[in-house]
Amino acid sequence: MDSFKVVLEGPAPWGFRLQGGKDFNVPLSISRLTPGGKAAQAGVVVGDWVLSIDGENAGSLTHIEAQNKIRACGERLRLGLSRAQPAQSKPQKVGSGRAPGGGR
Amino acid sequence: MMMVLQPEGLGAGVGPFAVGGGGGEYMEQEEDWDRDLLLDPAWEKQQRKTFTAWCNSHLRKAGTQIENIEDDFRNGLKLMLLLEVISGERLPRPDKGKMRFHKIANVNKALDFIASKGVKLVSIGAEEIVDGNLKMTLGMIWTIILRFAIQDISVEETSAKEGLLLWCQRKTAPYRNVNVQNFHTSWKDGLALCALIHRHRPDLIDYAKLRKDDPIGNLNTAFEVAEKYLDIPKMLDAEDIVNTPKPDEKAVMTYVSCFYHAFAGAEQAETAANRICKVLAVNQENEKLMEEYEKLASELLEWIRRTVPWLENRVGEPSMSAMQRKLEDFRDYRRLHKPPRVQEKCQLEINFNTLQTKLRLSHRPAFMPSEGKLVSDIANAWRGLEQVEKGYEDWLLSEIRRLQRLQHLAEKFRQKASLHESWTRGKLDMLSQRDYESASLQEVRALLRRHEAFESDLAAHQDRVEHIAALAQELNELDYHEAASVNSRCQAICDQWDQLGTLTQKRRDALERMEKLLETIDQLQLEFARRAAPFNNWLDGAVEDLQDVWLVHSVEETQSLVTAHDQFKATLSEADRERGAILGIQSEIQKICQTYGLRPNITNPYINLTPQDINSKWDQVRKLVPSRDQTLQEELARQQVNERLRRQFAAQANAVGPWIQAKVEEVGRLAAGLIGSLEDQMAGLRQQEHNIINYKSNIDRLEGDHQLLQENLVFDNKHTVYSMEHIRVGWEQLLTSIARTINEVENQVLTRDAKGLSQEQLNEFRASFNHFDRKRNGRMEPDDFRACLISMGYDLVSVPQGEAEFARIMTMVDPNASGVVTFQAFIDFMTRETAETDTAEQVVASFKILAGDKNYITPEELRRELPAEQAEYCIRRMVAYKGSGAPVGALDYVAFSSALYGESDL
Repeated sequence: MDSFKVVLEGPAPWGFRLQGGKDFNVPLSISRLTPGGKAAQAGVVVGDWVLSIDGENAGSLTHIEAQNKIRACGERLRLGLSRAQPAQSKPQKVGSGRAPGGGR
Repeated sequence: MMMVLQPEGLGAGVGPFAVGGGGGEYMEQEEDWDRDLLLDPAWEKQQRKTFTAWCNSHLRKAGTQIENIEDDFRNGLKLMLLLEVISGERLPRPDKGKMRFHKIANVNKALDFIASKGVKLVSIGAEEIVDGNLKMTLGMIWTIILRFAIQDISVEETSAKEGLLLWCQRKTAPYRNVNVQNFHTSWKDGLALCALIHRHRPDLIDYAKLRKDDPIGNLNTAFEVAEKYLDIPKMLDAEDIVNTPKPDEKAVMTYVSCFYHAFAGAEQAETAANRICKVLAVNQENEKLMEEYEKLASELLEWIRRTVPWLENRVGEPSMSAMQRKLEDFRDYRRLHKPPRVQEKCQLEINFNTLQTKLRLSHRPAFMPSEGKLVSDIANAWRGLEQVEKGYEDWLLSEIRRLQRLQHLAEKFRQKASLHESWTRGKLDMLSQRDYESASLQEVRALLRRHEAFESDLAAHQDRVEHIAALAQELNELDYHEAASVNSRCQAICDQWDQLGTLTQKRRDALERMEKLLETIDQLQLEFARRAAPFNNWLDGAVEDLQDVWLVHSVEETQSLVTAHDQFKATLSEADRERGAILGIQSEIQKICQTYGLRPNITNPYINLTPQDINSKWDQVRKLVPSRDQTLQEELARQQVNERLRRQFAAQANAVGPWIQAKVEEVGRLAAGLIGSLEDQMAGLRQQEHNIINYKSNIDRLEGDHQLLQENLVFDNKHTVYSMEHIRVGWEQLLTSIARTINEVENQVLTRDAKGLSQEQLNEFRASFNHFDRKRNGRMEPDDFRACLISMGYDLVSVPQGEAEFARIMTMVDPNASGVVTFQAFIDFMTRETAETDTAEQVVASFKILAGDKNYITPEELRRELPAEQAEYCIRRMVAYKGSGAPVGALDYVAFSSALYGESDL
């Protein structure tokens, strides 16, 4: 998972749709981008997970809280993002943890 | 007459009748004389004087003299007389005539005589002499002087003139101031003559007083002394000699020769006397030596005679120390007493040899020692001594060796005997033990091993015993003084040895016999163990098996148990026989023990089992058999009952099961909802529900049968594949299914109504859903859903955006991550997708209406427009409106609305 930060210069709109939140039991993510919008220009991509908003951890925020936080960043929005891995429901391969030649 | 004494024994040296050589000298002299006379008339004068005096000194003895040398010999008579006097021989009778020829004849006789004495007279004729030729006469006289006074002089093998000269030199050698080199100038100072006289007669001249510068005095002294005491007339004149540069050699020689003859003769007499004395002295010495020899020889022989018996003594001493002393005495003899005797013997030999040599040298007869004292006797005696000596030494050493050996042997014997005795101590007792009588086989074997070791030890000691006996033997042979005690000890040892041997053999026999017995018993015990062990196991197994609790679930099982039991019963008789045999072995063991008087209850090392154990187990078995029979029968009965129950249950279950199955399928079909409307579906479902409820009594009945089975602990039933659990689960599933399906349909109705879907739309969704619901269980798996989405045009293929999109969608349709997509969720998704943007906006629009077209809403408005609960819900959840121009407490309904759907556009 690549994590990266973007800084969008205001003012709003930022050009993205925020989805998820703690109350939805789904991590915050970018579900739509306005083509040519500030977010799209900054390299944000649909599906990116939002890790932090304005430096604060976003994992514990409800949707409304996240929404309000973003709205509070008037002139400059700092987002900590992570490029998504494909579908969470698919089990992740546990690396190449098998010892060569061993294992039962 | 001058006689020249020549000692006998002197070699044939130069004698008076030397041939040849003498002649040569004569000739020379005459020639010289010829020349000299011509040159020096002084000489003639001297010679005349000297020769005249010389002739007179001889003629005096005949009672005549000559006055004039050239005249008085003219008739030859005095010449012949002279010759007779000086030679001591008779000449032929002279002629008495006075005629010339008579004179010549006489002179010739004289000359012939001279010639007959080996003198070559050359150029001297009788006529010249008769004529009175001075020169000739002087020459003739010189020849006579030479021949008769000088020629015979022999000094140290040098003769004549050289001899005379040598004699002068020898005699005057001690006198430093005299150096005689010739017969002329050397004599001029007169010291030579004086020296010559002094040498022989020191009493006549005081030589020390003579002075070289008084030659005349010296000469006259000499002349006078010679004339007075030595009977040598003056022949020379002192003044003539001194004044003449070179005195006449012949005159001097003539005069000096007189001295020679005077002294030499005296010397010879002296020598003769000396010789006689010497000879006598030699004789005396020899006699003394002989005496000494005899004496020494006697002494030596006596000593030998004394010593030999001592050396021949062969009486030994008993003790080593005494013999050592003897040896020391012998050493003293060799070192102290004998060497001087050796010296003596040596001396004796030397003396003897010396004596013999001396005797031989002095031409005496050899010394013959007296009888028994011959050199050979002495040598023999000495040899004998040495032999005896050697023999004695040898004997001493051998005796000492013998004693030494005896000592050594005795010590060795003592030592070995002691060692042996200590080794045998206790062995006899040990061998007499009867410790094997109560020993086990193992112990007896160990005893045998030990006995073997002892036997080999014994064998090893055999050598030693023999050695001890050999030592005793040798001591006896060597005549040991304590042989008796040695012998008795040796005998004791040998007797004991025999005894040991006997006892050893007896013990071996006893041990072997015991071993055999015990082995036999052991074998029997082994046999017993070998058979008793498995039998015991069988017994144990039988006891266990007979008491074995079973758990059977069928009649067949029970039946097989019964059969097994019957089979077992069949083996009992054979087992009993085996038991008998085993016990028989034990009784045989007992019999052996009794017969041979062994311990009666020898424990069996191979097995702890006793016959008692066997018997008791056997009894146990006998008891258990019938009881088992009984219990088996009881079991059989029970099993049959169970079987009946099973069948009962099965019959029922076989009816219920399929009914439920059928119903499930029916419900499923209804749930698929492809026939008619939702209401129709619902009706059908309700009907089914009713049927199902009515059927419950069958389930209950089945439960009853099942309970019976359980009470009888029957857990299997081959008459039906349906277990109670199956049925229950199926029943519940059916109930659940019907309820759920009804619920689903109800929801679908709601949804339809809510979303305003028509039946056809619903049927379409249904068809799509069913199409992708591969498993036909009313749910879609994620892959199914994905396929469905793709078929609807969603781009889910590109990675990673496609995956991200699908993930997003999945979170929406399956928020609880159950892993399946229900039809309801599917419908929701499908309807939502097309209407989702509206939905949030619709709510916002709705709120706006309620808020009177404001961008915010107040709590009062909410309370006024919405039911209380919902209003409070909104008031709690909404955040304060942040826009301008809003009163306190204004709430932001936009954020709230979007938050409701979990989506906000920012």
